[in-house]
Amino acid sequence: MSQETPAVQMTDIVQKFGSFTALDHVSLAVQKGGIHALVGENGAGKTTLMKVLYGALKQTSGHVELSGRPIQFRNQAEAIQNGIGMVSQHYAIIPELTCLQNLMLGAEPGWAIPVKKAEERAYDLASKMGFSFDWNSPAAGLSPAGAQKLEILKLLWRKASIMILDEPTAMLSPSDSDALYDSLKSLAEGGATIIVVTHRLPEVMESCQNVTVLRGGKLIDSRPVSDVTTAELANLIVGRSLEIPTKEGFLGSNPWLQVKGLTVKGDRGNEAVRNASFTLCKGEVVGIAGVDGNGQRELFQALSGNRKPQGGQIVLAGKDVTKEGQAQRIQAGVRQIPEDRHAEGVIEEWSLAENASLGLQRHPTLRKGSFIDRKARLDFASKIAERFRTKHSGFQKPMKSLSGGNQQRFVAARALAIDPKLVLAFQPTRGLDIDGTQQVYNALRATARSGGAALVVSFDLDELLEHCDRVMVICHGVLSEVPENQTRDRAAIGRLMVGAEL
Amino acid sequence: MLSLFVLSLTLSVPLILAALGGLTSERSGVINIGLEGKMLVAACITGLVGMASGNAFVGFLCGSGAAVAMSLLHYLVTQAFRVDHIISGMGLNALAVGLTSVLHKRLTNPDFTDRIPGFPVQVYWVIAGAAVVGIAWYLNRTKGGLRLSAVGNDPDKARQMGVQPTLVRFYALVATGLFCGLAGSLIVTNAGSFTENMTAGKGYIALAALILGGWRPLPALLACILFGFFEALQIQLQGQAILGVDLPSWVWQSLPYFVTIVALAGFLGKNQAPAGLGRP
Amino acid sequence: MKKTPIWGMWLFTVGAFAFVVAILVLVKAVPLETFSGMVTGALGTPGGWRGTLREMTPLLILGAAVFLALKAGLFNIGADGQYTVGALAGVATALAVPGPLGMVLALGAGCLAGALWALPAGLIKAYKGGHEVITTIMMNNIARFLTVALVAGPLRNPAQESATTKILAKESQLPILIQDGPFRLNIALFLGLGIVIGVGIWLRTTVSGYELMATGANKRAAEASGVSVAQTLVKAMTASGLLAGLAGAVHVLAYENRFYADFSPGFGFDALGVALLAASNPFLLIPAALLFGAISQGTSAISILGVPKGLSGVLLGLTILVFAVFRYRKETPHA
Repeated sequence: MSQETPAVQMTDIVQKFGSFTALDHVSLAVQKGGIHALVGENGAGKTTLMKVLYGALKQTSGHVELSGRPIQFRNQAEAIQNGIGMVSQHYAIIPELTCLQNLMLGAEPGWAIPVKKAEERAYDLASKMGFSFDWNSPAAGLSPAGAQKLEILKLLWRKASIMILDEPTAMLSPSDSDALYDSLKSLAEGGATIIVVTHRLPEVMESCQNVTVLRGGKLIDSRPVSDVTTAELANLIVGRSLEIPTKEGFLGSNPWLQVKGLTVKGDRGNEAVRNASFTLCKGEVVGIAGVDGNGQRELFQALSGNRKPQGGQIVLAGKDVTKEGQAQRIQAGVRQIPEDRHAEGVIEEWSLAENASLGLQRHPTLRKGSFIDRKARLDFASKIAERFRTKHSGFQKPMKSLSGGNQQRFVAARALAIDPKLVLAFQPTRGLDIDGTQQVYNALRATARSGGAALVVSFDLDELLEHCDRVMVICHGVLSEVPENQTRDRAAIGRLMVGAEL
Repeated sequence: MLSLFVLSLTLSVPLILAALGGLTSERSGVINIGLEGKMLVAACITGLVGMASGNAFVGFLCGSGAAVAMSLLHYLVTQAFRVDHIISGMGLNALAVGLTSVLHKRLTNPDFTDRIPGFPVQVYWVIAGAAVVGIAWYLNRTKGGLRLSAVGNDPDKARQMGVQPTLVRFYALVATGLFCGLAGSLIVTNAGSFTENMTAGKGYIALAALILGGWRPLPALLACILFGFFEALQIQLQGQAILGVDLPSWVWQSLPYFVTIVALAGFLGKNQAPAGLGRP
Repeated sequence: MKKTPIWGMWLFTVGAFAFVVAILVLVKAVPLETFSGMVTGALGTPGGWRGTLREMTPLLILGAAVFLALKAGLFNIGADGQYTVGALAGVATALAVPGPLGMVLALGAGCLAGALWALPAGLIKAYKGGHEVITTIMMNNIARFLTVALVAGPLRNPAQESATTKILAKESQLPILIQDGPFRLNIALFLGLGIVIGVGIWLRTTVSGYELMATGANKRAAEASGVSVAQTLVKAMTASGLLAGLAGAVHVLAYENRFYADFSPGFGFDALGVALLAASNPFLLIPAALLFGAISQGTSAISILGVPKGLSGVLLGLTILVFAVFRYRKETPHA
């Protein structure tokens, strides 16, 4: 290894949010002129570490040096002036502006823009990278890959020499991903320093020089990619295989939810779910493992009736519900524990009692004809608050007076309360402690066993393995069953999740 | 025929100025149904001060100053207190109607029978024409114009790129005030004296023209001229048949509004409103 | 983003009040005398009460109309136009069909006209995303031109100088319940109170009211709860227009008894203020309408003191702004 001063040296970084330690004495050294991969599971602290680097977060302790010079940025603008830029997962591209305008925004060449000169420079930058852009067309027409390229050019426009890319291939097709890495390689050869935050191991193995693994906010290992195999890396990421309790496997035989050839388009027009087929048997609790953003959201939206599938069929309890809307599916017993409870699960200004019937407002037990049955609703609210011991200070108090965890308890209990036939739970234990997690899964299981089924998405594989009857994996929109002999093999499932060969 | 043409232009210039005021505000993301009130205040103060001082320039300066003050109140309420843009616009309009009525009733000099001193209307024509071209250039060719569009479409992303949305909107609303000041002083100059509620919905027509023009300066200009033409036709023809069709005058008067509704319903192409309209 | 400091809001309130005082001083009125004159003029005499309650009646119904739309997340700025076409439809019907039957038909015609006037705004909002504020402002102006043309043309009373309809016969008018010297109380007030209470109860006790309010509070949560958001928006806008049209019909049948050019003194806009003041409680529409009615009557009363009636506009505008600063701030977007 060369002994020159690293382009980026982060030493003993600690980042605390309240009592929670997101980064625990993490160090990172990145050499100039290469691609450095930063890998780890969701919540391992990768993004937090990068935010500290470019000034979006101020670390609790530890220090950062660029080429041996200590620095402390107060904001992103300062970071970019010093040559560090980041492309976040959510592109900062304004679709209504042209590509050229997006390129310049915030770093315009002068008060009156010399358009010809700006265009020339844009063409130059793009051609150096092997990209081609129609600079005067609106950015709305860009594909995800095009947007990603524009983001990289934005950094080059600002003369950044250190670039951080957060999950750059999350939205890209395999061939676009390859093309992206080709251009990153040529940038690195030209002397740029590139840090890629990713979940995908094949791209690490193929394109990066060094890799750093984080887990649970701690530095696990950092070494040249040539010294490690995919399997080793996967083990480093997920940790030593925990002893998985061998549960009495539940074997369903009665098909309850049958999905055939389901294809769903995402917001960007990409195929978010591709030709998914699976069956849930009556009584089963099935987990869907996968890294965030691989089509879980779109799959659930299609199942709940919130997003029209492009093709395929959904059969619940022997009845084809593909064409039915949300209200009819609720009536048929589809219940949700939504991912974003602020946006979809509760109305924060409303009281607990009012929120108790949200989604179930037309259920016969909660109304008398066209009128709300207030007494029944209040009883119902107290019943669901009781179930997972939601801490509250009265049913007439607004929902926003509850902590996030207590809101989650309330929402989960509501979904499981009346006639659930199919429960769609998205990260149902987000914000819950071990005890709460246990209770929610027990309830999910009890609900399923008493004549239904449950489908759970979680980004925490351990949680799924511990609590679900079986686990499927979603990666890049493709849903796959875990082979028979590996259903409890944590490492094997982990490899499926990151798109590695078994 | 020539007189019809001149009348159309005369009637459209105040609309053009007000529409430009709406444009700077809405392109920065601030919904502006308060144009009407700002113009009305400008017209009233231009009239009162012009009368008292006998000086067109002093009158114009104070009138425009009052419109800018209204615009800054709008800025304070929508940006510092983050009040809903529609509620604040309604409040401003109510305030303007009441305020100008009180001031006009009590402070108008009854001995003053001359026309209120004002610049020759040609001055306003030149300013309006130059401003349309200038703003079109500004939006497409300058740093400030780029940042204005960025903030109007997505304040959060603009902030990520190092642009301060509140600062951009401050300048935008000052410009709105100035344009409404011009429009208001032109209206009172044209009429010769102030009468209550004399803007008579011109602020809303200007807003309609802005929408019809897809929030772009040149198309908005054309829409204003079109609306001016409708009004001129209506004044000149007074119920005569046009091309063999005898339309009642209320239909002519309503035409700008009707066309705008059709545009909003999406029959005249895609809705091109700035995506960040009304966002804090 | 930082939270707005509460002292800033109070400073704004004090500033608004100081502005009113400054205006009064500028027009050479004594502020204290003006305010006490307003209170006495509106609430101190039987005649004052009569005027206040009369002004309050349309504000109650229109307030309920705007409130209903607001709860579904819609700004019905078009209440004024819906009110105007409702009033004209009411007069035209009552003139065509005499007697109590005509009166009932007139109320129905007002509802129908108002609902139809609001329908385009609802449809465009729900299915095309066009902002209801713009469409309803446009509809307001069309309503003004249309009604002025009708009252200057086919519906005009030829015996009159100005553009106005004939006066309704006594049997077509809504009856007066109490007549005591200068004090007079029309049944319309109770109709207005009944509508406010009815709307309040409907919103709070029925499943459809619940779904409407869910739509207004959080569209995504409503959609996820099986509510058809687009349909709810159209229904809410139409119902709001229906009530606004009814307010117009009631106003002509109870008080004005005829229709004339530029009929509405801006009741529809005042109603937005009433609905905003009521905030989340429909029953607070009653005191809010009383307040706005009293301001209107009070400023009429002090015009003898030489304070122009336009003062009410200043007070209403500032009341809306001050109240909005406290109540209608946008939530800071979630990070």
